[in-house]
Amino acid sequence: MSIRILPPLLVNQIAAGEVVERPASVVKELVENAVDAGATAIDIEIEEGGRELIRVTDDGSGIAADELVLALTAHATSKIARSEDLEGIATMGFRGEALASIASVSRVTLSSRPRGAEAGATLDTEGDQSGTPRPAGMGPGTRVVVRNLFFNTPARRRFLRSPQAEGTRVAETVRALALAHPGIGFRFLVDGRERLSVTASASLRERVRAVLGQDTDAGLLDVEAADGDLRLRGMIGTPDLARATARALHVVLNGRPIVDRVLQHALREGYRGLIEPAQWPLAVVWLEMDPRQVDVNVHPAKSEVRFHDPQRVHALVRRGVRSALGAEDLVPRLDLTRSTAPAGGGRMATGAPYRPAPPMPASRAGGRGPGAGPAPTPRERATGPSGFDYQAARHAMRAAAPSDLAFTTGASAGPDPGRDVAGDAWAAPTAAPSAAIQVHRMFIVTEDAEGLLVIDQHALHERVMFEQLRARILAGTLESQPFLVPEAIEAGAGEMEALESLQPLLRRIGIEAAPVGPRSVAVSAFPSLLVERGVSAAPFMQSLLARAAEAPIGDSEEALFEVLDMMACKAAVKAGDRLTPAEISSLLAQRESVERSSRCPHGRPTTLRLTIRDLERQFGRR
Amino acid sequence: MKVVCDRAALQDAVSLISSVVPPRSSKPILQCVRMVATPGLLTLHGTDLDVGLRIGLDQVEVAEPGEVIVPADKVDEIVRACSDSSLTLEVRDNHLNIRGADAHFKLNIIDTSGDVDPWPDRDPAEGVTADCEIAGGVLRHLIERTIFAAAADHNVRYAIRGALYERKDRKVRFVATDGKRLAMADGAANSGKGESRCILPKKPLHLITRLVDDPDQPIRISIGQNSAVFAIGEGDRAGTSSPGAMLWTKLEEGTFPPYEDVVPRDLDKKITSNRDALSSAIRRAALLTNAESRGVRLCFGDNRLTLRSRSPEMGEAEINVDVAYDGDPIEVGFSPNYITDVLKVAETSDVIIELKTPQRPGIFRCGQDFTYVVMPLQV
Repeated sequence: MSIRILPPLLVNQIAAGEVVERPASVVKELVENAVDAGATAIDIEIEEGGRELIRVTDDGSGIAADELVLALTAHATSKIARSEDLEGIATMGFRGEALASIASVSRVTLSSRPRGAEAGATLDTEGDQSGTPRPAGMGPGTRVVVRNLFFNTPARRRFLRSPQAEGTRVAETVRALALAHPGIGFRFLVDGRERLSVTASASLRERVRAVLGQDTDAGLLDVEAADGDLRLRGMIGTPDLARATARALHVVLNGRPIVDRVLQHALREGYRGLIEPAQWPLAVVWLEMDPRQVDVNVHPAKSEVRFHDPQRVHALVRRGVRSALGAEDLVPRLDLTRSTAPAGGGRMATGAPYRPAPPMPASRAGGRGPGAGPAPTPRERATGPSGFDYQAARHAMRAAAPSDLAFTTGASAGPDPGRDVAGDAWAAPTAAPSAAIQVHRMFIVTEDAEGLLVIDQHALHERVMFEQLRARILAGTLESQPFLVPEAIEAGAGEMEALESLQPLLRRIGIEAAPVGPRSVAVSAFPSLLVERGVSAAPFMQSLLARAAEAPIGDSEEALFEVLDMMACKAAVKAGDRLTPAEISSLLAQRESVERSSRCPHGRPTTLRLTIRDLERQFGRR
Repeated sequence: MKVVCDRAALQDAVSLISSVVPPRSSKPILQCVRMVATPGLLTLHGTDLDVGLRIGLDQVEVAEPGEVIVPADKVDEIVRACSDSSLTLEVRDNHLNIRGADAHFKLNIIDTSGDVDPWPDRDPAEGVTADCEIAGGVLRHLIERTIFAAAADHNVRYAIRGALYERKDRKVRFVATDGKRLAMADGAANSGKGESRCILPKKPLHLITRLVDDPDQPIRISIGQNSAVFAIGEGDRAGTSSPGAMLWTKLEEGTFPPYEDVVPRDLDKKITSNRDALSSAIRRAALLTNAESRGVRLCFGDNRLTLRSRSPEMGEAEINVDVAYDGDPIEVGFSPNYITDVLKVAETSDVIIELKTPQRPGIFRCGQDFTYVVMPLQV
């Protein structure tokens, strides 16, 4: 076979392989063109999952009749002109490939009427056969109709999944785009039925709610953070809304929906200890930064980017998420009617539901996690991101208004000034609720201002220990108790190797361990905290080494937290331990003072709340 | 069976038996006391299969020999709650009738004739040979000064959950450690030849300290491959019942760490301190420590000990005590529990503290026959 130059159709078809994989990618390209054209409303319509028909209509600037043919030509674009323009790309597209690629593998009808033009024009193409533009009556804007995708590349058509599956992909794409462009109205129709409709004027919250589902609304927290020209804002879900997949995680960078590991990791780090490791938070974040600080020209679909300073972006996102979560009361409501974790909202489009969260695994240490409750009652608890000190304000309010006698057995039973006690405005009884009982040596039941609290003793103590350890270790190394008689443990080859890399971390937490043979390790010092709590060194070290051998643990903050997590878990009281009243009240007092006390370090809830309102409803008093 | 017995003696015996029987068991019979009446003697048996106790009471009048098995905790409660000077125990109509002057208890008994577990009896003398005879007071003293240092029961190193018993001729030594500190006490037996060595669990040792009421009364110790027997009074006649008590126990398995290597011999700094003054100082300094920072720093120098503690959440403490020491100043951190533990059992008015460096183990000596080694903290 001799070497020859490929015909343009084939070139475009090959290019299409990168840009146009499936109906969803066609929709993405077309919508992005509409966005670049300055549209304020975009209608997307698909039939048969987009395999038969995709129609994207916008009210953007439009294309002049004499440029329609050019628009379908490869590497023809109005978006950039010179190489330098690549440095600061402000438009969605710039390669000039999309329309040509799509046209090469489908039957495209391109109709457009530029703003101010008298009439529109329309052009039909099929493969590389394009007709000539004909006048057409239409409103200002552009409409692209893509029919019979991959009609001329049967191999690729065979790779398409069922209309249902492709429709789901399109819906996800539309959802991401609708979140990415809050200033543009979106309407999405599947086989003639409207699946999404959001106007340009809707607030961010309305948009997020419209896209992710109404029932997420109560659990959405505002996030806002900035670092110089780097700005983050958005809405994140409370830990109860966490999902089994990353599908409800939307990251928008400079108006472009992206999938980026750095940002995903940062988001999850922000939730560390509040959701289970296998879960993904629900989040919609908009990140704005100098376009020169990020390279979007990495991937043809532009869904991946490369940050020049990923650490800075990571830190900002993590900080923003943490402070938003830290400002909330995240105690989930105890639900008397449902027994499973919430499947959550976010259903739309082709109706494919999110998979519900998997059942809670049993705790490693015998603490039993109850099923996560549904929507929490957000309530400011600490310094909010705006800088306003809610905690101080609340304390001030409590001091000004003595507690309501009727709802506490507490010590602070002051005279009732006859305040209006209706609604949710009841003051908190006391900082530490006074009446508490241990139930089945597993749970502690007590009250707070809003009702009844059921606390998992192991989970809460684990969190308390974790936060104390964390505070202690950030201030220096942990106090260590050397042994008179070292404890020897057996270790495998991988574990011996892991020991070497663990050394800096071990020193920080007060563990001294050294190889004393090809297959054995001697532990000669152990944190006095664990000694005090009766934790044996040998089994702890064995499980730590086993963990480290499985997946390398470095000396990062993450690794440290993982080890602190293990320590907290081992040192905490277990389900089945009887607690004295003094221990219970001390635990409850610590609950008030410790950060993120609503969840154990593995992300399971420590506390469920049954509100007085719920009780009243259940007893038929309301 | 019909027995009239002295209530106080019965109460002591039943209370000891109930501390042997397990609080929870899948075998209900293990939670029982077995009472056997023979002419002039009421013998009580209790066991948890690892430890067994037999007590023979001769402050009884046996009207009718026989035996009965009843829940130990109920008998214990009843005998304790009564104030009569004597009680009558009589088995009739499948009940144990306990009668006082104004009270009558009919207690259901465990029927051993049917298909329930037979009494898990064991001949305690089986497989053991006589080891030595030691005064009850000496043995108790050895146990009390060491057992507190043994490792907790959940520790996976079985060998250090008990105390090492070591005898060379008439010299008896007890050693216990939890890996961070070690207590070693020496005493003399009345008789004994050759050498022996075994690890005794904590539970029987605690029982022995309660069984000794006359410090001069000898206790005969017999040791076998897997078990040991302690006989007080006449209680060791194999298989027969006699007044006194006999305790048998399984031994802890495993190898006790080579404790001699742990006791340092080159400590050059010797401090003498009044025990009570030191104890009070440690307790006060410990007030400002918490679970994450247990350490109390002890600074010795110029005939003075300064104790310092600090907890970031609460604050700091400084306590000064006069001591006898004029060597080079040294500062060393200890977990206060480890020191108060030893001061509690020390009987001398002074303790001698021996140190070398802040990283090396220190020794607390309370008299010639008691050595306590403790590892400093690295703060």
